[in-house]
Parts: sequence; structure tokens; C-alpha cells
Amino acid sequence: MALKQSEAVVLRSYPLREADLLVTFFTRNEGKIRGVAKAALKSRRRFGGALEPLTCVRVYYEDREKQELSRIDSCDVLQSPLTSAVDYPRAVALAHVAEVLDELMPDREVNDPMFRLAVAVLAHLPAGAIWMPVTYFDLWMVRLVGYLPDLGACVICGEPLDGERAFFQAMADGLMCARDKRLASSELSLDSRQLAAEIFRSPIDAFEKCPWPKERAADLRKMLVQIMERHIEKKLVATAMLAKL
Amino acid sequence: MSRFAEPMARLIEEFKKLPGIGSKSAQRLAFHVLRASDEDAEELAAAIRDVKANLHLCSICNNITDVDPCVYCTNPTRNQRVVCVVEEPTNIGAIEKSKNFGGVYHVLHGSISPLHGVGPEQLRTSNLLKRLDAGEVDEVILATNPTVEGEATAVYLFGMIKRPGVRITRIATGIPAGSDIEYADEVTILKAMEGRREL
Repeated sequence: MALKQSEAVVLRSYPLREADLLVTFFTRNEGKIRGVAKAALKSRRRFGGALEPLTCVRVYYEDREKQELSRIDSCDVLQSPLTSAVDYPRAVALAHVAEVLDELMPDREVNDPMFRLAVAVLAHLPAGAIWMPVTYFDLWMVRLVGYLPDLGACVICGEPLDGERAFFQAMADGLMCARDKRLASSELSLDSRQLAAEIFRSPIDAFEKCPWPKERAADLRKMLVQIMERHIEKKLVATAMLAKL
Repeated sequence: MSRFAEPMARLIEEFKKLPGIGSKSAQRLAFHVLRASDEDAEELAAAIRDVKANLHLCSICNNITDVDPCVYCTNPTRNQRVVCVVEEPTNIGAIEKSKNFGGVYHVLHGSISPLHGVGPEQLRTSNLLKRLDAGEVDEVILATNPTVEGEATAVYLFGMIKRPGVRITRIATGIPAGSDIEYADEVTILKAMEGRREL
């Protein structure tokens, strides 16, 4: 069978047998695939640092008949997270991106906008400035998988929220106005809603020079994580560590 | 119903719990044990029991040892003021093979791994900090793996262990000795260029 090739982002890798690696890729041409990189642990010659999580690569692989796992032939590194400094917050942010992509993407489903989002965010995720790319990524991810509720109207009464206070809650299907909010709801500030609208209008580069401390849009990130965890029905491990930074 | 007699099925199940061992390998190992002499089988069982009963962590460096402190921490010919920090006890063997390092070790028993929920608080660093605070260390060599997780661990440790008068160094990364530049990947070349030295 002929080798296939695609741009891809490495999401995770696990040791398999004595020296192989089981690698999950998010490929541009075929969506999320899993494959075996033979002897990747023993010999670094063929793969080098290409199988590190969140490395953008051109992967060459072969699908085998009646087998779920592809055979990974080789990878060329296009962009590696190791080319710039990796501190603890950046490592957690990178792990968050990998985990969200892995959990939210179904296998073998092409999603070019999501692939472009992942590549753009990884290119703008330096040490010391993680909160902007993480917020940008989470918001677009939730929108691209179709989980994002209308941020402009109350999900209960349907009234527009223009300039009014808005609330979210883990089990609610969308934002609620002050009258309809449930117990244990949290507020989503007007600033964060305006920022969300701006994110949808602008590329990630537009926010590169904005000062973005952890507190900025923290309520928006909390809401997005609640939406993701509600749909995948489990807690995101790296995301919990991100919240503790 | 099992295809094997109950003791054999049990042994196969136990072997299957070992890393990298599937059903076929487990069967092969179990039949090897069956065919082996009684003494060999006894020795295998005794070795497993011995490992569990007599091995523990060195109170100074966290290396796996049967005597506390371990052979490295009590060796008077080794420089006790130079500490090489590694992720796993198996890394010590690799460094010792070079016969070029005369200092002592500190084993973290892992690295920061956010995808697996392992944060800095899970690293075993308390006894390293004790050594540093007691003024027993001149240099700490951070020899964690050159991966995202290893780099994050090294940077985190650097912030934690920096003390006046203590030199903190990171092992070099780059082209492996005896290999060919033609086959090195882009990241390795970049790291090798960054870490070049004057002749």
C-alpha cells in the first residue's frame, strides 16, 4: 500500500511493547489518527524529536487493511515546541491544547479550520504569555465543535443580554439573565463577552501585543471548560492544572 | 473455561501485567518457567521476593538501594558536592557507563507531566533542598530528558534550587556521537547550533 502523507500535530505518545511508540496525530488530511512508530524509543535516528507532543510535522504513514492502527514511516518536523523555552506554565498550556484536541476530536474526521486553529495557537504560545492563546484556543474550539451557546441572549427567556449581567452554570445550556439564573451560577462579565466577540472577528496575531494577565477573561475560560467537560463527560486533567497556575 | 490448568493460567495472567508483555509472550514465559529446573524457578521467585522485601529509596538521593545511604552517597572517592539530578534510577546507569562523572545523584522519580496529572508537587525534591540548604552542594547538574516535560521540569527546578554560590548547569543537547548530521532532525540541529562551543 502506498505511503500517505499529511501535515499533522502530535497529540500524545505512549510506549508500546519494548521500544515502539503508539502516537496520536491530528492530521490535516484525515483528522485524528493513531499509529505505531516502530523502534521509536530505541533509535532516535528516524523520528528524533518529531514525536514530542504538540510538534507540527509532516507525517508519512501507511494504513493497513483491517487494522485500526497505522504504521508511521517517518516524520519531518515543521515546528517544534522545543525550539523556544519551555517553563512549567507553558508545558501545562501545551498539554491543555493536546488534551482538548484529543478529547473533542472524533477519529478520522477531517476538520481543516480546527487544524489551522491548532497550528496558529501553537505558533503563538510562548513561555510567559500563555493566557491569550489558551483563551483564543478554548473559545474557537468550543465554537468549532458546535458546543458554544448564543452569548447574546438568555437561554431561558430568550431576551437579549445587551449590556445586561449574564450568568452561566455547569448544567445549563447557555447564558442566563439575572432573573433566570440558577443556583451556583457564575457571572460572565460584559468585558469577557465583548472580548469573545472580538476574538471571533480577529486573527490571533491581533492580540499578540495585548497585556493578558491570568485574570483577564478567566470567567470566559471557566465557562468554556465547563461546556467541554459537560460534553465529554469527564474532567480534563491538564486543564485542572492550568487553573491552579 | 481456561485453555490451561489453573496454576498455569494464573502465572500467564501475572506475566501479562508486566510492561510490554502480551498474551503470547506471557504464555512463552510461563512455559519457560514450567520447563525450567526447580532450582531456577525457585531462584526467580526468591529474586522477585527479595526485590520487594529489601529494596527501598536512599534517604539522601532517592536512588533505589538495599543499603541506606546508597553506594554513591557513601563513596568517599566521589565528589559529594556535585549533584546530578535525573528523572529515573535507570538514568544513573546510563551516566555511570560513561565513567566520566564522579559526583553523586538525586533521583526525582518522574518529571512534570501535565497530561498525566503530574505536577511539581509530586516530584521528590525535599531531600535535595535539604542538601542545598545545608550548604553541602557546589553544583547541581540538571540531567532531565530533553523533552517538553523534561525541559519544563529543569526550568521549574532551576527556580526552586537557585542559591547563592551554587552553580546550576543543564546537560548539553545535540548530535549524538558517532552519528551523521545528515540524519539529525531539525530540532536536534537547532539545539546543537545553540549549544556550540569554541575550540
